[in-house]
Amino acid sequence: MESIAAKPLPDITDLTRPFWTAAREGRLVMQKCPSCGTVNFHPKPWCIECGDRGLEWTEMQTGGTVYSYTVSHSVAMNHLGWQAELPVIMCLIDIDGGARMYAQVTDVAAEDMQIGMRVKAYFEPISEEAGIPKFRPA
Amino acid sequence: MRGKVAIVGYGRTPYSRLKPGEPVLTVDEYIAWAAELALERAGMSKSDFDGQGLGVSHAEVAHTVNWSAATAENLGISPNALIRGDQGGCSATSMLIRAATLIEAGVIDRALIVGADTPLSMPSLAPGLPLSPERTRGVFWDFQGPFGVMGATAQFALILRRYMHEHQVTPEQLGKVAVTNRYHASLNPGAIYRKPFTLQEYLDSRMLSDPIRLFDCVPIVNGGLAYIVTSAESAKAITDRPVYVLGFGETNNFYSGSRVFPDVTVTGFSESAPRAMEMAGVGHDDIDFLQPYDDYPFISMKTIEDWGFCKKGEGGKFLEEHDLRFDGDFPMSTDGGQLSGGQPGGANGGFMPLVEGVTQLRGEAEGRQVPNAGIGAVCGFGGIPYGRPGRSCISVILGSEA
Ligand SMILES: [Zn+2]
Repeated sequence: MESIAAKPLPDITDLTRPFWTAAREGRLVMQKCPSCGTVNFHPKPWCIECGDRGLEWTEMQTGGTVYSYTVSHSVAMNHLGWQAELPVIMCLIDIDGGARMYAQVTDVAAEDMQIGMRVKAYFEPISEEAGIPKFRPA
Repeated sequence: MRGKVAIVGYGRTPYSRLKPGEPVLTVDEYIAWAAELALERAGMSKSDFDGQGLGVSHAEVAHTVNWSAATAENLGISPNALIRGDQGGCSATSMLIRAATLIEAGVIDRALIVGADTPLSMPSLAPGLPLSPERTRGVFWDFQGPFGVMGATAQFALILRRYMHEHQVTPEQLGKVAVTNRYHASLNPGAIYRKPFTLQEYLDSRMLSDPIRLFDCVPIVNGGLAYIVTSAESAKAITDRPVYVLGFGETNNFYSGSRVFPDVTVTGFSESAPRAMEMAGVGHDDIDFLQPYDDYPFISMKTIEDWGFCKKGEGGKFLEEHDLRFDGDFPMSTDGGQLSGGQPGGANGGFMPLVEGVTQLRGEAEGRQVPNAGIGAVCGFGGIPYGRPGRSCISVILGSEA
């Protein structure tokens, strides 16, 4: 049995490095298409609307709206690092002018969560070279 | 394509939760066992598939390269066409469609389609929740795991929560699906969980990822399934009870609305089901039962809606107003489904709606036989894309008459 990180860490590639680096530095970036303006997320090899391979990493606003949420009470995916944080509030967040992403919302009671809630990103380092955005009520 | 091919045999091995003392079979052994059951029922032998088609579903347990050809080697079959199912819970139905088109084109006359998995035997990083390496690598995983996306239950809870925001559905309505599935499982010796539970027990079951409860979730098992599909002409010589493929429809990577901010309350069944029904030339009132891909009760509910048995948003009410039992006015998941029957790996649970549909239409569903079943609807539902409900949605109409 191989050992496992408390929480999963990404395998960083040249494709995805800009996202992880930016989040480590406290910025949210997504790939924007220079041809059609579509924001692609998660990172794609070309624009999912027009097929342009020249997607450009673009700084996003940090505001967003909760599209949906769930209050998770169980540890899944085997990563026991989540155990201490349960219940975890996992969301789909629609980033203003951006795209939809999975992210945690913190600093809110589960019973106060609402779809349509306005949230703002903050950034948590997860390794020397990577960070992730999390969100708090705006 | 209506009525051009038929299913003439099927097999479903006993499932295992790997209780102490139970034999531990490999995926190859389960495939052979399921194939043997299907061949026996059709009165055929493996040599009937030399020069014909062999379909092999994906397995998450470690397997060799060239998996479909390696399976042919293991089974001692030399087919002229290999079909590979790689669409998760749509693999069984997608291989049916591929085989049907190869048969209709005259490339082959028949195909043996197999699928098995032993997820409980996968090396597991923690007890009770095996994860295949392929689930935890690649860009798709890198933008989920580190963010705390904790498996299918949490992913589907997000979809259900959004649905509940836009439409009305109560825990009692969804619980009725789970309770009825268990009732059907109690009538099916092949189901893994057979002790009936009440609606109250459903409501009292532990909340895993609100609004999804423990009794909303599918239990993983080791097991295998198989079926045999032939040209309609050959089918008549093989069995007096062929089950014809009357229609099919398939959607992959379906979006409702924009690709950036899609509406997740609608599935690809909203497009694949009308196509299947049009090909079959049947309406909703002609369909005698529905076998959804029922890994969660609300997926069954959305399937009902997107097939058009009721309007969008009225699935909960539909569940409440209809008797879902095998002898009711809307028989559904008559084998107990995956919810109580067990899911033999993410890619192979999709054989179950198909195999149960065929079982019903051949009149072989002892103790849970839908009365006068002549036309049935069966579904495949495969994979969970990023922030959406289902990568592949396949709708099939089967009939006892061509
Ligand atoms: Zn574009």
